[in-house]
Amino acid sequence: MFYLLLKQFIRAKSTVTALIILLLAGIISMATGTQQLKKQKDNIARIAVLQQEHIQRNVKYHNTELGSLMYYVRFALVNEPDPLNALSVGQRDVNSSVQNINIRNLEAQRYDTDLTNPSALHAGNLDLGFVLIYLFPLVIIAFVYNLLSEEKEVGALKLWLVQSQKPIRYLQIKLCIRMMAVYMVLLILLITGFFWLGLSLNERFMAFCAVAILYLLFWFAISYWVVSWKKNSNINALALLSIWVMLTIVIPASLNNYINSRYALPEAQEVALKQRDGYHQKWDIDKAITMRGFYKHYPQFEKFGVPERKAFSWLWYYAMQQMGDDDASAASTELYNKLWKRNAVTKTLAAFVPGLHTQQAMNDLSRSGLQNQLLFLDSTARFHEKMRLYFYPKIFSSQPVNDENWSVFKVNYFVETTKTVWSWLLLPILVFIAVIYLATVFNFKRAPLNNSL
Amino acid sequence: MKAKNTILIAAQVYKTVFKNRSTWVLFVLMLIMVVYAGVTSWQYYQTQQTTIVAYQQKARESWESNPDKHPHRMAHYGSFAFRPKHPLSFFDMGIENYTGNTVFLEAHKQNTVNFSEAGFSSGILRFGEISLALIVQLLFPLLLFFLGFGLVAAERENGTLNVLVSQGAGWKEILLGKSLGLYAVMLSFLVPVLITLAILLSRTNNTNNDAALAGRTALMVLLYVLYLWILSMITVCISAISRTSRQSLLRLIGVWLLLLVLLPRGLQSLGALLYPAPSKLAFEAAIEEDIVKQGDSHNPDDPHYKHLKDSVLKVHSVDSVQQLPFNYSGFVMREGEKISAIIYSQHQNRLWEVYQKQNKVAAWSAFVNPFMAVRNLSMSLAGSDFSTYTDFQQQAEKYRYELAQHMNELQMEYISNKKPGPDDQPYTISSKHWQETPDFVYRNRELSTVLGEEKLGIAAIIFWLIILALLVQLLSKKLKVV
Repeated sequence: MFYLLLKQFIRAKSTVTALIILLLAGIISMATGTQQLKKQKDNIARIAVLQQEHIQRNVKYHNTELGSLMYYVRFALVNEPDPLNALSVGQRDVNSSVQNINIRNLEAQRYDTDLTNPSALHAGNLDLGFVLIYLFPLVIIAFVYNLLSEEKEVGALKLWLVQSQKPIRYLQIKLCIRMMAVYMVLLILLITGFFWLGLSLNERFMAFCAVAILYLLFWFAISYWVVSWKKNSNINALALLSIWVMLTIVIPASLNNYINSRYALPEAQEVALKQRDGYHQKWDIDKAITMRGFYKHYPQFEKFGVPERKAFSWLWYYAMQQMGDDDASAASTELYNKLWKRNAVTKTLAAFVPGLHTQQAMNDLSRSGLQNQLLFLDSTARFHEKMRLYFYPKIFSSQPVNDENWSVFKVNYFVETTKTVWSWLLLPILVFIAVIYLATVFNFKRAPLNNSL
Repeated sequence: MKAKNTILIAAQVYKTVFKNRSTWVLFVLMLIMVVYAGVTSWQYYQTQQTTIVAYQQKARESWESNPDKHPHRMAHYGSFAFRPKHPLSFFDMGIENYTGNTVFLEAHKQNTVNFSEAGFSSGILRFGEISLALIVQLLFPLLLFFLGFGLVAAERENGTLNVLVSQGAGWKEILLGKSLGLYAVMLSFLVPVLITLAILLSRTNNTNNDAALAGRTALMVLLYVLYLWILSMITVCISAISRTSRQSLLRLIGVWLLLLVLLPRGLQSLGALLYPAPSKLAFEAAIEEDIVKQGDSHNPDDPHYKHLKDSVLKVHSVDSVQQLPFNYSGFVMREGEKISAIIYSQHQNRLWEVYQKQNKVAAWSAFVNPFMAVRNLSMSLAGSDFSTYTDFQQQAEKYRYELAQHMNELQMEYISNKKPGPDDQPYTISSKHWQETPDFVYRNRELSTVLGEEKLGIAAIIFWLIILALLVQLLSKKLKVV
């Protein structure tokens, strides 16, 4: 029986077409993902070379005062892209993987955006994440929607009922065959990706696979549930497509509006304004006031005293820059809190929307979500502070430029080390599948196939 | 063709559709979505707009409150350009959320436009944002296909088509009548959208020209009215060439997925592949290289500035810059600003050209995909498209350049050429100059400019109207009843 049903399934022209389309889309998506990753990597490789060139050139031009040199010199911190990024681009196309900063005012630098075509961002990436979240479910729907109704419509259901004690077995075998076909494509794609992208068999890759498998299982469960209504093909197709539209477009898009309005971010503009005024207005006030603020922040430098009233001094200059950051810090902290809130709320809501949950899970696993970006920005702040504290005493004590060994300043890397939380990744979808499965079993129990003629 | 028959068929379709209980369920669902989408996107627009206006004002106040100081300090103090939203952008957000809204304008440096919603998003934005335009563009077609897939095919299945034709209805009358009926249904669905739009627009604080806004809104309504007509015709034609209603439904779903979900994304990716854009690093490096080639005002041995100095001294018949009748370093900075601004604009324009080429790949598909034409036209009318964004950047850069040059000129005019001694007060000029400098005001683009840029989309819409009219002619000769 199994082989007969398998033959019937594979012989259908539409089956093969759908599977090939899926496979092709998967391959294309990995090609675009790889392209995107390569762009990031090339950029990073380039900055590693450019950084030393940049430092040496500036050291040559501005070799009289360290304070003047440090006005120009920038150091790169790189958010190392994970190979999994090629499967799920996430937010990495919006947010830059490189922060190239000098030791002046941090808040004036770290939000600088990358160069991107906004229309391309708007259209979205054609990565494996897209193929998994949008296209696989459609093929699953196409395979399952008429699982029963087709048999009814061509009159084969009568034969099943006559031939078998448990006609539901036919249905289950048919479903299994379709699941095998779809999972075969997924397996081929994941194996291809594994070797093509040189992924390692680490915990995150396994989790990525597990999330993908479960998400597709969810769609099989939903589709089978609709089949259990025992309605005709047209109604099934309409119902499943409506569910798909709701779950992958309407509900996430509505939640997006909610989150953007609920956590509006006027703090961003506040930071921009505060950091400018906090620094620039210090030019017009008594140096002693600025220095008092500076020494309150860094008591360890108090020994450098207050510079003379009229002459320019780098100590004073960097103290003014520091005041820009200090004045903006309240708004900046608030901005961060809200961004972390956005991240947390999205994840909570995602527990009820499997497609969104899958996207969030894949973004986190491939280190390309908002969480990664926020950790990177935090790390940028720490890196900036480290460089500041390294150069401040040298600038304040007028250390000669050439006393420094400039060749040691290589590009720094940030690597996110968040642990994989399996329960968060899998539980929400598992619960969904369990509930839907029970509903399906209930439907078939209450009204067995025999009654559906 | 008998017009009476056509109208009879249309009325029949309209009545049947609205007699069905599920149509009303869909109608109520759609109504809820329309209200939610309209209100949330409008509130979001209001919050953003209020923030933008408030900060533009705040930035201006702190600019004006500066005391007497050296104009070059003011050039570095700089100003901000905050990008206001177009009032219609709540209807269609277009690429709004993928573009920044805050740019710091200072001397010597073109900063990036920061704080896009996309950069602050948890990723959920990538599923789209619900707006009235999304509902009409994306969900209405689906609704239309659901309601219309069986209009001809189902009648063919149950043999009623035969009856219709034998009663003297021609194919042209059937196709047009069914399309008109379906169209009337969709227009009924559109009414709540338009009412929501009208109510919200009337409550929007509009600083724009009212006539221009009315013009844009009217064209927007026209656009969607035509869009629904095109879709109604497509639905009925596909239903007519399908043997069974199931085949018709599957074809229409396929069309929806291909044209509205897959093609826009796929073609945009193809565009990026065909016309690769430089990275930020490469972009900045290329500009720096060009500037160094032209002359680096920060480099004391630069030949360009040496030459400039010699010729200026000669023209004024003096032998040192201290004897010049204007401040020489202001003069050098003015020259440097000019050079760097020209070079920057050249590179920026080249980059935009690359982006435009990428976007054009998808835009040209409007001739096979009417949705693409509507999407682009709608964004343009709502002031949330790519060109409006680059226009903002251009206006901001123009303001930045004029501000920097104005400060350089003030320096040339009012600052002495003699370096102040160690015990002298630093040179300053009166703070009244700050108040006299105008603030940045973003000017909306003229409707005619917008339409001029969207010739492709307009042509595509006209093309579709003609093609579908021809298709009805052709089909009415070829179609069979069974």
